[in-house]
Amino acid sequence: MSHSSNDLSNHLSNDLSNNSADQIAVSVRHLDYYYGQGDLRKQVLYDINLELPKGQIVIMTGPSGSGKTTLLTLIGALRFLQEGSLNVLGQELVGLSKSALVEVRRNIGFIFQGHNLFDSLTASQNVEMAVEVLDDWGNKRQRAIEMLSQVGLAERVDYKPKALSGGQKQRVAIARALVNQPSLILADEPTAALDKQSGRDVVTLMQTLAKDQGCTILMVTHDNRILDVADRIVNLVDGHLESDQNFTTFSQTHDPKALV
Amino acid sequence: MKMRTPLAWFNLTHKRQRLLTALAGVSFAVVLMFIFKGFENALYDSQVQLLKALNGDIVMVNRIKTSMFVPEKFARRRLYQAEAFEGVDAAYPLYTTTADWKNPDTKKIRPLRVLAFNLNDPVLPIPEILAKRSALQMPRTAIVDSKSRSEVGSLAIGTVTEVAKQAVRLVGTFSLGTDFTSGNGNVVMSDQNFIRYFSNLGPDDDERNLNTVDIGLLKVAPGADVGTLVQTLTQRLPIDILIYSKEDFVNKELNYWKENTNIGFIFSLLTVMSFLVGVIIVYQILYTDVAEHWAEYATLKAMGYSNFFLLKVVIQQAVFMGLLGFLPGFLISFGLYRVTADATGLLMQMTPPRVFNTLVATVIMCLISGAIAVRKVQSTDPAEVFGT
Repeated sequence: MSHSSNDLSNHLSNDLSNNSADQIAVSVRHLDYYYGQGDLRKQVLYDINLELPKGQIVIMTGPSGSGKTTLLTLIGALRFLQEGSLNVLGQELVGLSKSALVEVRRNIGFIFQGHNLFDSLTASQNVEMAVEVLDDWGNKRQRAIEMLSQVGLAERVDYKPKALSGGQKQRVAIARALVNQPSLILADEPTAALDKQSGRDVVTLMQTLAKDQGCTILMVTHDNRILDVADRIVNLVDGHLESDQNFTTFSQTHDPKALV
Repeated sequence: MKMRTPLAWFNLTHKRQRLLTALAGVSFAVVLMFIFKGFENALYDSQVQLLKALNGDIVMVNRIKTSMFVPEKFARRRLYQAEAFEGVDAAYPLYTTTADWKNPDTKKIRPLRVLAFNLNDPVLPIPEILAKRSALQMPRTAIVDSKSRSEVGSLAIGTVTEVAKQAVRLVGTFSLGTDFTSGNGNVVMSDQNFIRYFSNLGPDDDERNLNTVDIGLLKVAPGADVGTLVQTLTQRLPIDILIYSKEDFVNKELNYWKENTNIGFIFSLLTVMSFLVGVIIVYQILYTDVAEHWAEYATLKAMGYSNFFLLKVVIQQAVFMGLLGFLPGFLISFGLYRVTADATGLLMQMTPPRVFNTLVATVIMCLISGAIAVRKVQSTDPAEVFGT
């Protein structure tokens, strides 16, 4: 009896001590970003402050040209940064060299609007390519098959993308993004090319897998049919962070049609 | 140890139609290179095919006979002098001259090269000649090169026609081939017949006897070193002759034609142009492929693959194309060499080093194309895949 209560108190104290820095996947502070140089220099992001705790699903919305995708690519270590502070998975990205940025990316799963699968490779081989980026990829085939089974494609591992439906292809892309169990997943309009039901399935799948693996998801979307999966909804307008709310408050304060 | 996914191979072989187009393009460039190089080599090779067929380790010629084209002779006693040296087993004289040949069919006169030697000396050990040695010992007989130009006329055994305006009876044919100095072909006869035909010519002609030799051949004793023997003979014999190892003599003749004609320049230019055509074809194919897959390549970059990895994929694809395209190109060229040789009488030779050189050129051709096409991948910005 005393043994188990001891365990519980240990667990609680661990939780409390880890709560600050260790529980934050992404931390953005005073981030400005510009495109172009000289006279053509144009600011696209203004003083962004954002924290993504581990395990949260955050959806980023906003009108076209508001800088959502730019912010996503910045967090994804795909762009070179000079000002402000951007901490991703405990690594400060500002001032990092290109090869160091490549290293950071290996811990991030990317899901794009297009599935971007090699049509010359089977579903399994496409996923295996992601495993091979790691140093230890001896059991790549086994891991790819496991992952594809988790997204419900156990029967389709040796099919080429041409023989798969749109939803199935996007699920292969998700398997590819998740196979290395990344701590952070960045998704850009993952449902845009899918019908209502497949879109729903894909998002539910991402939600389940993210909860299982305890990873953080940041998703850019215009699709208000899927907003309810989010723990938080961040709204970006003209490069400014306009609001940061949970789904219920967001749906009350925003006209869904204004999102598009 | 498990293999990495061979992305380059799958990308190359995924679309059958495109793969076939790609291989056809590479094969086309390979065939062009083989054909132009083949013509060039044929022109050079045919200049030395007689010299290569001669049976001797050391060759002796007049000092001013800079090429087979120069009809200068040397005294036969130089051969006897050389024969006295230790290490020289035998010395054979070869007499050559250009003679008018009457075509037995059209009766037209054509110049021909006469090769004459003592039939007991193994000067030109071609089986057909060896087989007819006794027939050739009969007065006024000769054996003709079946690869002579068609202007020489019919060459059936027993045909009677004229050489140097005197009757001659053909006892058979052998196979050698023409070159720039052979006129329309070659005819071989005994040294005795050579005197019969060419020692009693009119005052305007260059009379011949067996005291002057065109080419002297020395057989070296087993174990004797050809190089040192050539040096010793050059030092000890009078300076009106030059002495070469057979290999040097063949190369000297080759260099004469290389340095004094434009054959090399013209055909090298054509070969280089074929090479460039190949570079452009392969580049087009690779670039189309890379451009079509830019989003996938960018995704690989986003996943954490380096530029170097993508460079390897494109370069591998280029090398596979080169190797796969070379094989059909080589087989087609092999057939074309035969057709060309039969049609023109040129000596089209497909030797292993030449095949290897063309293979290397093909791979380099594809590497250059790959290196240009890969810049498209290198410049791909993974950030651009978002929002498209």
